[in-house]
Amino acid sequence: MIRKHALAIACCAVAPFCGNALAADTPPQTCLIAGWENPASICETHNRTLASTCFNCHGPNGVSNSAIPGLAGQDKAYIVEAMKAFRKGERESTVMKKYALGYTDAEYEALAALFATMQINLADAKEGQK
Amino acid sequence: MNMPRRDFLKVSAAGLSTGLAGLAMPKVAHATAARAAPKVVVVGAGYGGATCAKYLRVWDPSIEVTLIDPSPHMVSCPMSNWVLAGLREMSDLNKSYAPLARYGVKQVQDSVVGIDAAKRTVRTQGGKTYAYDRLVLAPGVEFMTGSVEGYDAAAKAEKVTHAFKAGPETALLRRQLQAMPDGGVVVIASPPPPGRCVSGPYERACMVAHYFKQHKPRSKIIMLDGHFQIVSKGPMFQKAFNKFYPGMIEHRPSNMVTSIDHRTMTVSSDWDSVKADVINVVPAQRAGKVCEMAGARCDSAKRWCPVDFASYESKGVPNVHVIGDSVLSNMPKSAHVSNNQGKIAAAAIVELLNGRQPDPLPVIGSTSYSATSDHTSGPIAVVMRYDPGEEVYVRQPGGGADEDSDELNFQYNLAWFDNMWADTLG
Repeated sequence: MIRKHALAIACCAVAPFCGNALAADTPPQTCLIAGWENPASICETHNRTLASTCFNCHGPNGVSNSAIPGLAGQDKAYIVEAMKAFRKGERESTVMKKYALGYTDAEYEALAALFATMQINLADAKEGQK
Repeated sequence: MNMPRRDFLKVSAAGLSTGLAGLAMPKVAHATAARAAPKVVVVGAGYGGATCAKYLRVWDPSIEVTLIDPSPHMVSCPMSNWVLAGLREMSDLNKSYAPLARYGVKQVQDSVVGIDAAKRTVRTQGGKTYAYDRLVLAPGVEFMTGSVEGYDAAAKAEKVTHAFKAGPETALLRRQLQAMPDGGVVVIASPPPPGRCVSGPYERACMVAHYFKQHKPRSKIIMLDGHFQIVSKGPMFQKAFNKFYPGMIEHRPSNMVTSIDHRTMTVSSDWDSVKADVINVVPAQRAGKVCEMAGARCDSAKRWCPVDFASYESKGVPNVHVIGDSVLSNMPKSAHVSNNQGKIAAAAIVELLNGRQPDPLPVIGSTSYSATSDHTSGPIAVVMRYDPGEEVYVRQPGGGADEDSDELNFQYNLAWFDNMWADTLG
């Protein structure tokens, strides 16, 4: 995005004003998808979109209003372990084993990291139910 | 949507630097101010189009998104077979578009009558013209009723339905089943794939049989199947037919319907002829009309829309994206896939409009539930990965259909409806 890039550059130019928080959380310049190196923006959109494909069943933003468990705010390590257990068949499931077999360990990590940042907003959940 | 931490920091930094931008980067700041909001027009507000419109706004609120559909609300095809069983009312299928307003999606209730891909404009029946930078077409399918002799005359006389677009035909089929005497015969016919929701006719047979079992137990369902076997969830449906409805459903494979005579109420294939009280024939389909208007219905048979599977941009027309049932692909034509294609297309459009490269390797999940009775359902689930070398989505090992339907999956089927509607519409 022209605007965002401009601001990112602008931010570097005024780095002293941005504080240490940004420096500590500097995004990587490249990332791997299926073994290929890509600009970081591609991994960002890849992972965000992949996470959104879970919402059909698990509810928008990972907030479920139904018998299917929500994902928002779940502990990252818990989700990764659950996916591994589904894949091995150690945890009982209906469709989750089929999904777990289709995703990679790296995707478990990326998805779990995103779900962990999502907040459970009950007002939104109620709205979605209507 | 709640922002991941990294995005939050970017926005904070942006807010902080705004005041300094004029000093630090005067030329870029000036260019940004002059840039008009990019416009995306989405035609068709089903599971694909509504989802795409919503996520375009979620992921980039600077994009102006206009969603055009003639219907005042969505009518869900998933669950529509349940109406035939008497498990749901028609009103249960109606889902309001109102929540989309929360995302700033501009909604237009109108029909598209023309698309000028060179000028990048869409014209509606109401006489309005909408300009776009990117156009998304999500019209669903158009039924090729002319491919079955006598179909149009029978439809005019209200003697045949396909009821594969939920709405008045669903209600008509329900009324015909209710009016039918006990001991009557229903024909449910389906074309060979590709077509919308290939498991739909078999779920429909179960739902109609459920109704008969309660009210008209001597009645019979004859399935004239254009395919050589049950296309989807075969073992599961076969078991359900035998277990719940013994002797009631007769599945006749390799039997594509070629003609209907509504005066004698006869349905014929190349080697079969059935007299029926209620005729339900799903004809072959092609991509929706608006795809033809845009020049996107451009495969060799002029039937479906070939797209670049990373962005869903038409291979025939630049700046026009196609999602959902109209796409030429090996993916199921289901609500779940349409919804997810809507997200992948939205993500790609956001990247393109911001001068970045879209994800070259999208991954898509597909789940579909079919009810086999008033308390049992069965799923199919598969993960598909785009392979740019082969230009197809490759089904990952481990996916597939369950061999049995059961009560737990019925509960998840209900849960899936709720979360699908919430994810698609707000």
